[in-house]
Amino acid sequence: MTDESIITTSDLNLWYHDTHALQSISIAIPRNRVTALIGPSGCGKSTLLRCFNRLNDLIDSVRVTGTIMLSGNNIHEPGTDVVQLRKRIGMVFQKPNPFPKSVYENVAYGPRVHGIKDKVELDRIVEKSLCDAALYDEVRDRLHESALSLSGGQQQRLCIARTLAVEPEVILMDEPCSALDPIATGKIEKLIDNLKQDYTVIIVTHNMQQAARVSDYTGFMYLGKLIECGRTRQIFENPKEDLTENYITGRFG
Amino acid sequence: MSEKFHTELERLKQDTVEMARFARDMLCDSLQALAVQDIDGAKEILSRKKHIRETTIELEERTYQLIALYQPMAKDMRVIACTLKIITSAERIGRYGKDIANMVGFVKDQPEFMQPPPITHMARLVTGMIDDVIRAYETENIRPIENLSKRDDAVDTLWHSVFREMLTFMMENCRTITRGTYDIMVARYLERSGDHACRMAENVHYMVTGERIEIR
Repeated sequence: MTDESIITTSDLNLWYHDTHALQSISIAIPRNRVTALIGPSGCGKSTLLRCFNRLNDLIDSVRVTGTIMLSGNNIHEPGTDVVQLRKRIGMVFQKPNPFPKSVYENVAYGPRVHGIKDKVELDRIVEKSLCDAALYDEVRDRLHESALSLSGGQQQRLCIARTLAVEPEVILMDEPCSALDPIATGKIEKLIDNLKQDYTVIIVTHNMQQAARVSDYTGFMYLGKLIECGRTRQIFENPKEDLTENYITGRFG
Repeated sequence: MSEKFHTELERLKQDTVEMARFARDMLCDSLQALAVQDIDGAKEILSRKKHIRETTIELEERTYQLIALYQPMAKDMRVIACTLKIITSAERIGRYGKDIANMVGFVKDQPEFMQPPPITHMARLVTGMIDDVIRAYETENIRPIENLSKRDDAVDTLWHSVFREMLTFMMENCRTITRGTYDIMVARYLERSGDHACRMAENVHYMVTGERIEIR
């Protein structure tokens, strides 16, 4: 990879009890690019994604070895502020999970937690985040209605806006379109393409065509190992490893 | 991706091989018909035009359908891409065969007709190239097409030599102009067919290795 990396892992291992879920993963995530992680169910791609913002810390019995560097700093360093880490590395989940509050409150929630009280400033952040998430035009007259009244695709873009509101550097997306219809999926994909101008995006997806469409780099994982990682075009046109070839041509998985 | 896709892809490939061999036979048989002035044989070759056209459309549609339904990737995608190119080139080769068959009737009444030796040699070289490309595509083994560039150079040299030779004949004796022109056209069609063999070989190379090469 020639692009500058924002996150690098080296010899990263993770165990759930006795299960060795991630095995010696060394990967570099390029800054301001979209990196897709693909692989069959249970291969560890979501687990790897959740390592980047230490979400696995919330699970008892998880043990991690190896290092993850974010812009040169080890995120497992004692004294790392995990709340700050998760502000720098935001996350969007498979199912849209807006808070049962208004559209406005959903987006303003993060900045408030991080200490922004000024109404004018909050208004500005909410509008900008909704615009960046390509949602503002659809909800500008409904800012104070419940977020739960939005469609699934709008709710997912609201969750992206909520992530953007705290100005992260990296956005993790775990199957962000799997609960959406093709039109909503198209909007999210277009949005991902725009987001990489300002953010680094790491996306886990089961949809290989989606990985091929939206990402610049792709990593293929299998049974807890990173089998191959490279430019998306190369991975989908001419993968080096037979395992990758067999997976993306549907010969197993 | 389902097993169904791979079964259909394999069937598409086999049918493309068959179609390419059909086109190659059109070229070979037309050269033979021209050499021995076989008017009936030429007519029969002309009647194959319909089949090659219909097969081309049918194979192309099956390819498009596989793309639309399965969005193939990696090797599967390269097989699909190569297959489309092979279909196009093979159809062109078949049509050159048809064009040569068309000439048989015209050339028959020309005085002292005898196919110039370089054309016979070109025909042997070009059909050999086409055979090897089809075999490489069928077996996914690039060995038979590794020296195609050299063989195409020989074809080009022969084409230039036929061109010069015919031009000399025609300048010396204007009664040979009709015959000479047809011979130049036949040589040109063979040179073009050799070129199509090279294009097909480039695509087979890409299909097998994933790397693009240029065969000059």
